[in-house]
Amino acid sequence: MSAESTTIPADVHGHVDTDHIHGHEHHHEQSWLEKYVFCQDHKTIAKQFLITGIFWGIMGGMLSVLFRMQLGWPNETFPFLESFLGKWAEGGKISNEFYLAMVTMHGTILVFFVLTGGLSGTFANLLIPYQIGARDMASGFINMLSYWFFFSASVVLFTSFFIQTGPASGGWTAYPPLNGMRDIAINKGSGLGFDMWALAMSLFIVSSLTGGLNYVATVLNLRTKGMSMMRMPLTVWAFMFTAVLGILSFPALLAGVVLLEFDRLLDTSFYLNNIVVNGHLLDYKGGSPILFQHLFWFLGHPEVYIIILPAMGIVSEVLSIHSRKPIFGYRAMVVSIMAIVIISFLVWAHHMFVTGLNPNLAAVFVLFTLLIAVPSAIKVFNWIGTIWKGSLRLNPPMLFAMGFVSMFISGGLTGLMLGNSPIDIQLHDTYFVVAHFHIVMGVAAFFGMFAGVYHWFPRFFGRFMNDTLGYIHFYITLIGGYAIFFPMHFMTGLPRRYYTFANFETFNNFNFLTQFISIAAIVVFLAQLVFVVNFFYSIFKGRKVDVLRTEDGYTYGNPWDATTLEWTAPIERIHGNWPGEIPSVHRWPYDYSANGKPYTAQNVPLAPGEVEHK
Amino acid sequence: MVAFVTFALIVLFFTILVLIGKANELSEDLSGRGMNYDNKSKWNGYFLLAFIILFFISIVYQVKLLAPIMIPKSASYHGDETDRLFYVTLFFISIVFVLTQAALFYFGYRYNQGKNKVAYFYTHNNKLEVIWTVIPSIVLAVLVVMGMRTWFKIFDVEARDPNAMVVEVTAKQFQWMVRYPGVDGKFGKRIIDKEHITPTNELGINFDDPNSHDDFMADKLVFIKNKPVLVKLGAQDVIHSFYLPHFRVKMDCVPGIPTQFYFVPKYTTEEMREYLKTQPWWNTINPETGEPRWKTFKYELACTEVCGRSHYGMQKEVVVVKDSAEYMEWVRKQTPIYVAPTAAADSTAAPKADDKDKKVMSELVGGTKNKSLK
Repeated sequence: MSAESTTIPADVHGHVDTDHIHGHEHHHEQSWLEKYVFCQDHKTIAKQFLITGIFWGIMGGMLSVLFRMQLGWPNETFPFLESFLGKWAEGGKISNEFYLAMVTMHGTILVFFVLTGGLSGTFANLLIPYQIGARDMASGFINMLSYWFFFSASVVLFTSFFIQTGPASGGWTAYPPLNGMRDIAINKGSGLGFDMWALAMSLFIVSSLTGGLNYVATVLNLRTKGMSMMRMPLTVWAFMFTAVLGILSFPALLAGVVLLEFDRLLDTSFYLNNIVVNGHLLDYKGGSPILFQHLFWFLGHPEVYIIILPAMGIVSEVLSIHSRKPIFGYRAMVVSIMAIVIISFLVWAHHMFVTGLNPNLAAVFVLFTLLIAVPSAIKVFNWIGTIWKGSLRLNPPMLFAMGFVSMFISGGLTGLMLGNSPIDIQLHDTYFVVAHFHIVMGVAAFFGMFAGVYHWFPRFFGRFMNDTLGYIHFYITLIGGYAIFFPMHFMTGLPRRYYTFANFETFNNFNFLTQFISIAAIVVFLAQLVFVVNFFYSIFKGRKVDVLRTEDGYTYGNPWDATTLEWTAPIERIHGNWPGEIPSVHRWPYDYSANGKPYTAQNVPLAPGEVEHK
Repeated sequence: MVAFVTFALIVLFFTILVLIGKANELSEDLSGRGMNYDNKSKWNGYFLLAFIILFFISIVYQVKLLAPIMIPKSASYHGDETDRLFYVTLFFISIVFVLTQAALFYFGYRYNQGKNKVAYFYTHNNKLEVIWTVIPSIVLAVLVVMGMRTWFKIFDVEARDPNAMVVEVTAKQFQWMVRYPGVDGKFGKRIIDKEHITPTNELGINFDDPNSHDDFMADKLVFIKNKPVLVKLGAQDVIHSFYLPHFRVKMDCVPGIPTQFYFVPKYTTEEMREYLKTQPWWNTINPETGEPRWKTFKYELACTEVCGRSHYGMQKEVVVVKDSAEYMEWVRKQTPIYVAPTAAADSTAAPKADDKDKKVMSELVGGTKNKSLK
């Protein structure tokens, strides 16, 4: 990592006087703290997000293994759990309270801390400046703050595992009144644990907003010469619109959570009305628990697109590069991202069909929910069109990108059932939903993230991840992911978040299946450790990127023969990204196999007589 | 010791994996194949092809194995329609699923770098893109129209039978309180204030209302075949969700906001058992009871909105009887909540429950607790 030497003054963003750089006059040594901790460089911040995300990924995965053990073997005890979890697993049996806490934290961690912070934070930070040809983000300082808010949110959330009443346990959706009253008799996790959840989420939202504003500002203002919007790679489009979604929707959740804390701490009644506990009518009057659900899902639904859009962007890019073929229907891809962003604000109440919502209102949400399938379908067809007649380099990033498409299809299609309100009556809050959203936004988004990590690892570290381990990781995750979630479709009608099904004759038929799923989950979790080992091993020992040319002491390589600007920067990750002038752009980013050449980079001027693709 | 050995084995396993990975990489580098993916692509092409074939086979197998175990056919009329809609949607999405997945993995195999050296520069095709925008739009429009017709039929208040049987279900942690209107078919009014809601009268029933005098709390839900039911729902402490899986009925119980669900039961419990008797899987012996599964079949009520630690225990039995006679027979066996004042008390005044009565009422209003709950 010594390559991260500073050759450009740290305060230079955007327009750099080239003489200045070559002169090396203002060279100033960064302290260790500035370089690795309070760093304002987008590449380091990306790494910080990624590594924090990996930490949370392991944590969230481990929680799922633990509650899968309870679900798979509800009558067994696992004595080692007691030494590990203490009073939460007395006698080696996970308590029903801690079970709910784990389910809640699993959701919170994976949705927000891994697939939002870890995914968007990592790749938007790494790729936006590199791919649009910028020295750094519009504001390096705010970008740094964005990470440190994320870090503080992580610390608060992690700490909540160690308090006496345990972490929040009322579901990641935090519905009041279960989470709306500070009464541990109602729910242990609704004590201090929930306050910490709310604080962590608030910090997280600040992080997401500061990050998002920066991404949008950077994309709109710092594009290099010639980089018109329609010459941007789909990754950048996706990151920008993800940021727009976050900026417009996260504040609603923040407002919702703040009001929830008012109810909890100041005895207001925003969400509470006529609550009776143990035969005593409490003083709350006039609020509506449903209001919180509206506020929550006003973020909550765009949130799933905040998760999936960056993955879509990454996959579009990776599929095209490794197919050696332009992305099919670039314009349609851009337009469908925009369509998804707009429609995603009009579908939130499809999570609330059976809350007693006015049935007429449901009609609107059914319409838009099914409508959003159209741009999604266009994207899928275009991805398949992209690999058609390509020359597919089936390496781990490409395989993960294909896996993403497969998962996105499988999970997306069942959305047409859930989005249709009469069908949803039966499916709502059952394992069918669990199967649907885990495949479409859990596993699929992870596949997108893995595709991105394997693909841009050389950009991060100048080395490759190991292919063999990558293949092992891919096939176990693909087969295992389907083994876990596909059979859950048949558990239609079995309620979610049940500690055991033993109390019900109706739900008690699937015991062998829950066991099978639990075993598959453990295997898949171990396969993710293969990835983690590969990741950290390759940082230090991975195969090095081939050097194509050396110039002014910097080495240059383009490991995947890609056209985008990030590979025109030296393999050494320097502050300011390019030692000299920022390359200017002359063409769209998908000139693969065009004009008889394997690829033509974006910074290559049009040949005489060549017509630019529009 | 065991933990240590396990840990050591895991470390060893990962070390071996890393070594294998590194060895492969080195051998590739030595033979000069470093970043050449021709050979690897070829192998992975076969893997992808094998995967998709096995995946499709496994789906057929899963359907054969798991479909018979699923929650059986709908026991309500509207449920038939929602189920039909489910299968219509399933039909469309299965076609898309098979075609797209097959294309994706087949192309992965067919056009891998080892097999196909040169990619075809092809940027877009407007006609094709319009086709695959318009066709899904039409299918989706059909699904929306079908869905909305069913939806508005289920929630059409005007088309409802005014003489429907009304049951009041109030949820609390972690039980269902089921109130029936008794022989007169009329509920006594409830008053939500601190005077009426007490630990002995959690629902706040106004016993001044004579209609309340024959209301009773039931330990199960009883419906009549072909007799429309309007379930009036509420919750005391947190949100619960009233879920009758066999009837395709689900509606949240929200504190402070009344909700309801209207449906018509189609099969009695006995008829459902007779039907299941014809299903092979339901004839297998349940190891817990030692009897064929259809014999112990029962309709159940469950909670589907996470409501706290014992969410999984909010069970209640549901029975569908064949006619009103059978229903009235059951009703007559129930004990009203209201306990008549003693002769000494003023008959015009509100009944004052003494301590003994309070106890009786409390047990009844509290419903029967599920024994498995802590």
